[in-house]
Amino acid sequence: MSDKDLIAKLNKLKTITPDLGWKVSNRELLLSQISNSGAHELSAWEVFVINLGSLAKAITRPVYALGVFALVLISGSLFSHQIFKDAKPNDSLYIARIISEQARINTVINPEERNKLAVQFVTERAKEISTVLANPEFNNEANQDQVAKLNTSLNQEINNVKSRISYLNVKKDSEKNTEDGTVLATGTDIVTIASELKDEAGIELLNKTEENEPALNVIATTSPVKATSDLEEGVASLTEVASSTEVVNSLSGPDVAIEEVEKLLENKNYNEAANKLKEIGEMIK
Amino acid sequence: MANQIVEKFKNKKALSRLKSQDKEAFIEAYDENVDDIHRFVYFKIGSKEEANDLTSMIFLKTWNHIQTNSLEDSKTLRALLYKIARNTIIDYYRETSNKITASLDDEDNKIEVIDEKIDPQTRIDQEADLERIKSKLPLLKEEYREVIIMRFINDLTLEEIADISGKKIGNIRVLIHRALSALKTLVEADNKATDNKANDKL
Repeated sequence: MSDKDLIAKLNKLKTITPDLGWKVSNRELLLSQISNSGAHELSAWEVFVINLGSLAKAITRPVYALGVFALVLISGSLFSHQIFKDAKPNDSLYIARIISEQARINTVINPEERNKLAVQFVTERAKEISTVLANPEFNNEANQDQVAKLNTSLNQEINNVKSRISYLNVKKDSEKNTEDGTVLATGTDIVTIASELKDEAGIELLNKTEENEPALNVIATTSPVKATSDLEEGVASLTEVASSTEVVNSLSGPDVAIEEVEKLLENKNYNEAANKLKEIGEMIK
Repeated sequence: MANQIVEKFKNKKALSRLKSQDKEAFIEAYDENVDDIHRFVYFKIGSKEEANDLTSMIFLKTWNHIQTNSLEDSKTLRALLYKIARNTIIDYYRETSNKITASLDDEDNKIEVIDEKIDPQTRIDQEADLERIKSKLPLLKEEYREVIIMRFINDLTLEEIADISGKKIGNIRVLIHRALSALKTLVEADNKATDNKANDKL
């Protein structure tokens, strides 16, 4: 006999029940006994109070309370940004705004979108700090301590923006499509392309790399070069573009702009820095 | 989770109504649980008449317990009834100094298999099987018999059995496994003895 058979047979013993006549008479007997001790029918109000109390006891378990708490926390973090978004640096609610922004960033799953959102928030904060520092009523001898603190915060925010923009640029570079023959190359890549062309065509090129020259993005067409004349034209166009300081591709726009911001802040040109930060925010969107 | 909340609400409501001396709540509790409690007592002590008396006592004791005690520790009314039933049976054993050793061979409580699809011979065999199992239950250790009755006859959950007996769920699982093995051994030994007798007669 297997366990399953045995259990099935045990289940059948459920058919053993007390005699119906006894059940009924016993119920009446018990009712009369408890009535003597005060049993009665409850009023509607008593039933209502009992139902309310029972419901409260049913839901006040730690796990349910934790669930409610988590719900309040998540909805608060999602919607509190709306409440605190107008809080300015030096306001008492400013820290609440930073926390709500961070919570909102954490709810974004896509890393690139998360970084973009973070850059927008940080850029906005840096812009506001610059605006506050540009205000002569605040930025004076009496508030030197607070000014110093805000300057430190501003530097931190600028560094934050730079590192996030770098991350976004790295991500964009890795997604470049070269299948159609269109190549986005940095300034140093121009030298590589030119070298390859030199190897193929035996053409001598000038390598121009000056120090502190900003990285240039150029668009170079590398359609198959069959004839020597095509190759000479290709090399000529590469050399022409490489010598230009004009920035063609907007991916490096925030990069350059943030460096300009740093220079403006060194010169304590807070208004211009705030405008430039606003532009960066627009570029990232 | 919603089901759990609803169940908990119903349990809390039942206990609160009884605490408020609600007659209707008592009637409902009695109708819902009298069969299970009576069956539990019957399989523990072996006599139907005694089971009737003890079952009445258990319900009265439960009513008094609810009126005079806080119900913070009580999860469900059913668990409370079983706890009081166990204690009442222990008191009965003490008073009578009589633990059941005889089989539950009660003419008034013969098991009948009611299934129109099966043929009469199969039905007779099944009834014999059930009588055999019923007769072997009293031969088990007290705690083995108890868990078998609660789990497989009265369909209590492991959590309920753990709450009633004050043991952990893991221990209950082990106990159930051992109890089933012990009962199976008894039943199979009885089957073998019966077959041997039949062969000897032939």
